[in-house]
Amino acid sequence: MTVPRSFGVFFAAAALALAGCSGGDPAAPAAPAQAAPAAKTAKEGPYKIALVMKSLANEFFLTMENGARAHQQAHASEYELLANGIKDEQDVARQIDLVEQMVAQGVDALVIAPADSKALVGACKRALDAGVVVINIDNKFDAGVLEERGIKIPFVGPDNRKGAKLAADHLAAALPPGAPVAVLEGIPSAFNGIQRKLGFDDSIQEKGLTLVTSQSASWEMEKANQVAASILTEHPEIQALLCANDNMALGAAAAVRTAGRAGQVKIIGFDGITAVRDMIREGQILCTVDQHADKLAEFGIDYALQVLRGEATPADKETAVDLVTAETVAAP
Amino acid sequence: MTAPGFQGAGWRRMAVDYAGLLAVLAGLTAVFALTADNFLTMQTFRMMANQIPPAIILAAGMTYVLVIGGIDLSVGSLLALSGAALGVAMVQWGWPLFPAMLLCLGVGVACGLANGLVSSLWALPSFIVTLGMLEAARGGAYLATNSQTMYIGASIERVSETHLLGFSVPFLVALGVVAAGQIMLRHTVFGRYMMAIGANEEVVRLSGVNPRPIKVAVFVLCGLHAGLAAVIQCSRLGSADPNAGAGVELQAIAAAVIGGTSLMGGRGSVVRSFFGVLVISVLAVGLAQIGAQEPTKRLITGLVIVAAVIFDLYREKLGRRAA
Repeated sequence: MTVPRSFGVFFAAAALALAGCSGGDPAAPAAPAQAAPAAKTAKEGPYKIALVMKSLANEFFLTMENGARAHQQAHASEYELLANGIKDEQDVARQIDLVEQMVAQGVDALVIAPADSKALVGACKRALDAGVVVINIDNKFDAGVLEERGIKIPFVGPDNRKGAKLAADHLAAALPPGAPVAVLEGIPSAFNGIQRKLGFDDSIQEKGLTLVTSQSASWEMEKANQVAASILTEHPEIQALLCANDNMALGAAAAVRTAGRAGQVKIIGFDGITAVRDMIREGQILCTVDQHADKLAEFGIDYALQVLRGEATPADKETAVDLVTAETVAAP
Repeated sequence: MTAPGFQGAGWRRMAVDYAGLLAVLAGLTAVFALTADNFLTMQTFRMMANQIPPAIILAAGMTYVLVIGGIDLSVGSLLALSGAALGVAMVQWGWPLFPAMLLCLGVGVACGLANGLVSSLWALPSFIVTLGMLEAARGGAYLATNSQTMYIGASIERVSETHLLGFSVPFLVALGVVAAGQIMLRHTVFGRYMMAIGANEEVVRLSGVNPRPIKVAVFVLCGLHAGLAAVIQCSRLGSADPNAGAGVELQAIAAAVIGGTSLMGGRGSVVRSFFGVLVISVLAVGLAQIGAQEPTKRLITGLVIVAAVIFDLYREKLGRRAA
C-alpha cells in the first residue's frame, strides 16, 4: 500500500520541483535540475531549505529548531526555512512522507536528522535524484546502506562515541580503579545510542572500571528510574550509573536519592538539557555532554548553503562535543 | 447483605476470588527469588512500594471506567499535563506545594470532565473522545513546559520522602485509594449503578435512573486519579516530564484485565486490579534485577500478561465446579 502511494507522491514531487524551477526563475537553465550533480551547479539565491527533524516533543530537537529559526532570521535574504518534525522519535513512515512533501515543495536543500539510520536512505536518494542537496545531521546514515544505494550524503554532526568517552573518562577520574559501574542504554536500535554505549565501553576498558550490567531504559526518565532502582537493589556495590541521555540520568538520580545513596553513586548523562545542568550545579549529577543542539541545525544549514553556492563539495564534517561539569556549567 | 453468616462466606469467597492471582504472584516471586541474588529482600519490597503508587492509582481509575463499559485512553497524557501544571506552578510561578498540588488535581478533574461531558452529550464512544484527549493533553503538556523537563527539586520530593509507620505517604495513599474504590464499587448505590450501567445501560434508563451524570462522574473520577498519580510521580522523580506516562494507559488497562475486569463492562474489582499491577511490577523489577535485555523483557512481559489471564480463567472454572 505504502510503496505505490509514496512513488506517486514522488513523481508529483519531481514534477512540481521542475515546474517550480523553470516557472519561478526565468534565468534558470532549461535543462532538468537533476541531470547534473547538485554539488557542481551553483544556483542563485535566495534558497528554500527544509529542516526535517525527529520528535519536536524532545527538548533537544526543539532547541535545534529554535537555533535554526534564529539563524534564518539573521540570514533572511539568503534563504527561506521550512522546519518540520515528527510526533515521536520512532515514526519513521511519517518522516519519509515529510521528506517527499519537502521535495514536492521544491526545496533546494534538505537538512535531515533521520529517525532511522537505514529506512530514510531511500527517500533521501529520491530527493537527491530530484536535484535536492541533502545534508545529514544528528543521527548518521548507515554507511553500508548508503554504499549499497550508490549515494553519498555528507554528515554534519558530533561524534557520539567520542562524547560519551569524554564523560566516562571524567567519571573514571573520580572513581577508584576497578570500581563497579552500570550503564543505562537508549533504544537498542538507535545508532547514536549504540555509539554512546561504545564510547562508555571504550572508557570502561581503558580506565579499568568493572561493568556489572548494561540495560536499556528506552531514553525515558520513568523507565530509567525503575531500571536504576532495580540495579541498585541487585548490585548494591555499584558506584556509578552511566546514562546514554540526560532524561535517563534524571530518572537514575531520583532512584539513587530514593535508595539513600545520594553522593555515593555518581551519575553521568548526555545532551546537556536544562534540568540536568541544574542538578550538576547541585552536585546530584557529575557531568553531561553538550553537543550544541542549537548549533547542529545551523551547521547543517550553513553547509547546505555552501554546497548550493558551489563553495564546498559534500564531505563529512565533525562538530564539537563539550563536557559540562560543575566547574564549566554556567550560572542559571 | 445482612444475612447471618455473610461475613464468613464473604471471606471464603474472597480467598477463592484472589487465589489465582496470588498464585501467579507467588510463582513469579519464586522464580525471581531463585534467579536474582537480592530479589527476596526488604529493599526490593521498599523499592517496589515506592515505585508502584502511580500505577495502582491509574489502574483504580481505569477500573471504574471499564466497569461502566467505557475506556479512557487519555490517562497517560493527563498525567503528563497535570504534572506539567504542577511543574510550571512551582518553578515558574513560585507557588507553594499545596496550591500547586490542588492545581494539578484540578487539571486532571477538568480534563476528565471534558471527556465525560463530550462523550455523554453527543453519545460518542469514549474510545474516540479519550483518544482525542490523549493527543490534545499531550500537546498541552508540551506547550506548558516548552517541551522541557522541569526540575522542581526538594520542595516536591518531600511528598514521597515523608513516611508514616515505615511506609511512604504515596504508598499509603495508593492503598487508601484501593480500599475506598473497593468499598465504593461493592457497597454504595453509586457503585452498584456503575456496575448496572456496564451490564446494561438501557435497563438502568428504563428503571428511571439517568445514567449520564453517573458516567460523567466516573470520567471525572478517572481524571482525578490521573492528577493524583501525577503529583506522586513528580514527587518521586523530583521533576515534571512532558513525556511522562506515554503508554501507561495500556499498562493500566492490562492491570485491570489481569485482575478480571471485563472490557465489556459490568464486572470489575479494584483489589484485583491492584494485584494486576503487582504482577506487572514484580515482572518488571525481577527482569531488571536478573539483567534481562530489552527484547527479552518485552517478550516475557507480553507472554506473562496473557498467561496470567488464562490461568485465572481456569481457576475460576475450577472454583465454580467445586462450589
